Amino acid sequence: MEKNENLSYFLNEAKTIKPRELGKKLRVAFLASSTINGFEETMRVKCYQNGIDCITYVADYNQYNQEILNQNSGLYQFKPDITFLILDTRHILGEHFFSWYSIPHSDRKEIIDTKHEEIQNICITFQENFDSKLVVTSLQIPNYSPYGISEGGDYGLKDAIYKINHKLFNEFQEHNSPKIFIYDFNEFVGKFGENNIFNYKQFFSGDIKISIEYIPKFVNELMGYVYTISGVAKKCIVLDLDNTLWGGVIGEDGFDNIKLGDNPIGRSFVEFQKRLLALNKRGIILAINSKNNFDDAIEVIQKHPNMILREENFACVKINWDDKVVNLQKIAEELNIGLDSMVFFDDDPINQEYVKESLPEVLVVNLPKDSSQYPQIMTEMKEFDVLKITEEDTKRSDMYLGQKKRKELENKVGDFNEFLKQMNIEVKVEKANSFSIPRISQLTLKTNQFNLTTKRYQEEEVSKFSSSENKIVECVKVNDKFGDNGITGTYIIEKKDNDEWIIDTFLLSCRIMGRGVEEIMMNQIVEKAKSSGIKKIKGEFIPTAKNKPAENFYEKLGFKKENEFWVFNTDNTIKKPEHIKVIKNE
Amino acid sequence: MSEKLYQIISKVFNVDNSKIDDETSPENLEEWDSFNFYVLLDEIENEFNIKFDLDETLEIKKVGDFKKIFQKHGVDK
Repeated sequence: MEKNENLSYFLNEAKTIKPRELGKKLRVAFLASSTINGFEETMRVKCYQNGIDCITYVADYNQYNQEILNQNSGLYQFKPDITFLILDTRHILGEHFFSWYSIPHSDRKEIIDTKHEEIQNICITFQENFDSKLVVTSLQIPNYSPYGISEGGDYGLKDAIYKINHKLFNEFQEHNSPKIFIYDFNEFVGKFGENNIFNYKQFFSGDIKISIEYIPKFVNELMGYVYTISGVAKKCIVLDLDNTLWGGVIGEDGFDNIKLGDNPIGRSFVEFQKRLLALNKRGIILAINSKNNFDDAIEVIQKHPNMILREENFACVKINWDDKVVNLQKIAEELNIGLDSMVFFDDDPINQEYVKESLPEVLVVNLPKDSSQYPQIMTEMKEFDVLKITEEDTKRSDMYLGQKKRKELENKVGDFNEFLKQMNIEVKVEKANSFSIPRISQLTLKTNQFNLTTKRYQEEEVSKFSSSENKIVECVKVNDKFGDNGITGTYIIEKKDNDEWIIDTFLLSCRIMGRGVEEIMMNQIVEKAKSSGIKKIKGEFIPTAKNKPAENFYEKLGFKKENEFWVFNTDNTIKKPEHIKVIKNE
Repeated sequence: MSEKLYQIISKVFNVDNSKIDDETSPENLEEWDSFNFYVLLDEIENEFNIKFDLDETLEIKKVGDFKKIFQKHGVDK
């Protein structure tokens, strides 16, 4: 969304960046098999514009092997959070790139296996020795073969590269390596075209393998990793209706005349909605913020034959004549998410400006007047990326639907205790396992409100804890009559000695907070401690800007303050809320 | 033409317009390094909608040399 995307803009901006006190810090390393001038500058600027203070390390040209294998290298000293290894086909194949068909067919497999193993070994060494994530670019499938139109055989030039890529994807991306990720370079090539991204003049002059004009666009592709690792990825899309989800104004044009469906303008909105629905199905929350008569607009959503998004796709609907900023704040409050995790789509430039001015945390998309551009604008956004889609992500929109129904029941029943009884809440307590570890890590990274210590753990750390003798890592799955909430709480206990356990982490997703699940979790810890002969459970409350809701939790459950710790004597018990059924699964 | 050329050079090298004249070269402008020069070539090509030949780019030793190439390419706006 920059006005000027020339590389010179980024090179110059990069010189003006000064670290901010409160910015999120990220250490990024670049390793490459070609010249990558301009990459780190562009990334630092893009990070800066998104509230991230990025410090970079760029390894010398073609030194990636040594940097990863030699434990005294600059890369080890730099201690990156994320490392990009940018490989290219010319480099990997060397002279074979030109003379692939001079190699006997029988030898080609061996060459490909060797090349694949070289990359694989680098990844494995990296995985063992670094805490950093590693993103490796897959190899570009050559767009030219001396065989011309007869190209295509097994272990032909294109097939050979395809096989290396396929193996790498399979080993790391598919098999859920928590640290190694393969970026699909051919997606970048396909999007912009090889004749654009590769410039022979620049290549012969300076070994530049991604042309200068396209460096900012390539770096933008990598930003998806950066946003999610820095925790600035977006969770929720808030949408206007008139001229955003359909063409025209419902209040003026009426149900039969809005543009949605079988005409050029209408098709663009249908396509845009289909893109939104696909994001919704994988965990992005949708909400509506529209100035309209509620009845007019909701009728379209419920009944229009070409409407793709229906009421159940929206976790929160604000169709009224209230101020759009007030509506956004209410949506954030009702969904219990930060304004900084919201993206706002509205066709009206005045609304765009107003929200930008009033709520700078919200990402406001500069939607152009031409609706045919909407789908592409959305598909080019990197702000929704996550390293791995968890089961909770794919279920999220159902969960929010359940949440809406819970709210309705709560309002209907009136009495909160009676409401809780009617909810039929079931809590399943489980030891961390390979299925739940990614989600547990995600919870520690994302939970801000009901979080006693706000310690952030990557997947491999949670994994280490769960196999340690000295730690207990458990999680809770919560279910009620409106559906499965999935894994929504977790605790990590450090077994200090034979008398004492320490609560390292204790958190509960804000969706579930206040229904007694937190008491059940603490009750589990106390019971477990008792049966292990532990006398004291100690916990800390580490205050942050957001965890006030958890502030009085220890005190409420009978912990006593001793210096900075809250201490529970296991001669006492924690009362289990009666409306919850507990299922143990150890 | 000169003015537009100087503007682009001043923007890419991030130096004041007044520092640029036909004699400006890597010898007297520290910001003119080899990579910045490629960036400059790219942006001049885009702005003037021309393509330099590789050998032409190798002959550019100072700002004035761009003008000679422009003449060859018929750029005179």
